Amino acid sequence: MAAQMEHPTLYGEGAERPVLYGARCSQCERVNFPRQTAGCESCGAHGAALTPVEIDARGALVSFAFVRKHMGADIAAPFAIGEVRLQGGPVIRCTLAEGLSEGALRTGQTVVGLLAHNPKSKEGVVELRFAPEQR
Amino acid sequence: MARALSSFRPAFVAGVGLHPYQKFSPSPYVALGLTAVREALADAGAQWRDVESAYVASALLGMAPGRPMLRHLGASGLSITHVENASASGSSAFRLAVHEVASGQSDLVIAIGVDKPAMVELGARQTGIDLLERDRIAAFTHFALLAQRYADAYGATPEDFARVAAKNLGNGARNPYAQRRESKTVAEIVAAPQLAGFLTAPQSCPIGEGAAAVIVASEEGLKRLKLKRRRAVRVLSSASRSERVYDDDGGFDAALTEETVRDALRDADISAGALDVVELHDAFSVEELLYVERMGLCDPGDAPRRLAAGDFDIGGAVAVSPSGGLIAMGHPLGPTGLGQICEITRQLRGEATDRQHPGAKTGLAHMVGLGAVCVAHVLQRDA
Repeated sequence: MAAQMEHPTLYGEGAERPVLYGARCSQCERVNFPRQTAGCESCGAHGAALTPVEIDARGALVSFAFVRKHMGADIAAPFAIGEVRLQGGPVIRCTLAEGLSEGALRTGQTVVGLLAHNPKSKEGVVELRFAPEQR
Repeated sequence: MARALSSFRPAFVAGVGLHPYQKFSPSPYVALGLTAVREALADAGAQWRDVESAYVASALLGMAPGRPMLRHLGASGLSITHVENASASGSSAFRLAVHEVASGQSDLVIAIGVDKPAMVELGARQTGIDLLERDRIAAFTHFALLAQRYADAYGATPEDFARVAAKNLGNGARNPYAQRRESKTVAEIVAAPQLAGFLTAPQSCPIGEGAAAVIVASEEGLKRLKLKRRRAVRVLSSASRSERVYDDDGGFDAALTEETVRDALRDADISAGALDVVELHDAFSVEELLYVERMGLCDPGDAPRRLAAGDFDIGGAVAVSPSGGLIAMGHPLGPTGLGQICEITRQLRGEATDRQHPGAKTGLAHMVGLGAVCVAHVLQRDA
């Protein structure tokens, strides 16, 4: 049985690794994430001009921060947030995989998406995380 | 063709008033706001009945808090307009007041900011478009990510970020209107409870309550009402922009600041080097390092060195956040941008007591608001 995504409108399983659901603007070529048809943030084209694309969950780590204080019940601090420039274009902010130490992270390194269960989520639900690519 | 503020008739800050910023209290917002308004009226030597129009800035009080407060000054029938622009609400209220006077529509206008802490739903959460990690990235995490980028680019240390808070807490300790009035050393700030990345609790602004009021007058208004001309401060320029799509690794906040302050300085016909006093949006310590560079007050990557050398102290090359900034004075949202105008006005008049920057003639107020928006004003006293 396929895993259930925490945010099924934002990402899902891909052939090699997870993919993010975006939209390419046929007018200016900008790839927007999340997917929407309300209008391209770059040029304003909308509707059918924004065509669905799947963005490979792989990119360069632009920045990161270990979060020590968190009010929400969705995840327990500490956890790490990363900023990733996806090879498909957009820069996203995402949760990094559990158990990473600060020494394991450096900006510029390649990170890839993975689907992992969050202990705070329902059984069988997975969410998108990123971790340094293992070569 | 678009026209700069300088092409209209002059607008002046004629009076300023504040209710001290503080933690949430049982005081109703009406009491906070009226304190600031009455102080501004007394400062200008004006009567409430002379005020033709009011812009009321609030981000957290809900719909239409203005008249229920202002009726206690005597229901004069003046125009009342509410302004919500997130953290820049007060700055935008001031901009509207300045434009109403400069256009010739009114001679005496007041901008008032008042707020009390409350939970409100953000517009960005109601767009119908889901966002990745929306609930996991608090404001301090957003700025921690920018701090990490800055550290990677320029080799900044935890002490470099903490030094911003140490300076501003030191300034706030001398400001009777500040919410935080206790100095801390750089070492104490670094050792404080961590929020995210480099940022510790004293490097984050407190969200409390308070009020600020600024009376804007035309030259005719000053004469007609016999207001104190020698204490009036000219508003040289007003700039307001919103975030574009940037291909900028410094972050949109810094890029937007650069564009907006560039517009404000251009319209004022001055360079950044002419600024004596700057009140900027230091909700988190890293912002001051980013913004002073993008404003042109120092070279990229040089802000930590200049800060450590005392160049941004009161009495330094340019006093940055002599009020204590958002980190020490506090950030009650609606009042914050107007509180900056109050501080700059006092500095330019030479009335800032023991936090006076010597010889202050020209000042810049800068706020970033959620969205993002950015508002900047340049003020100057007569030579």
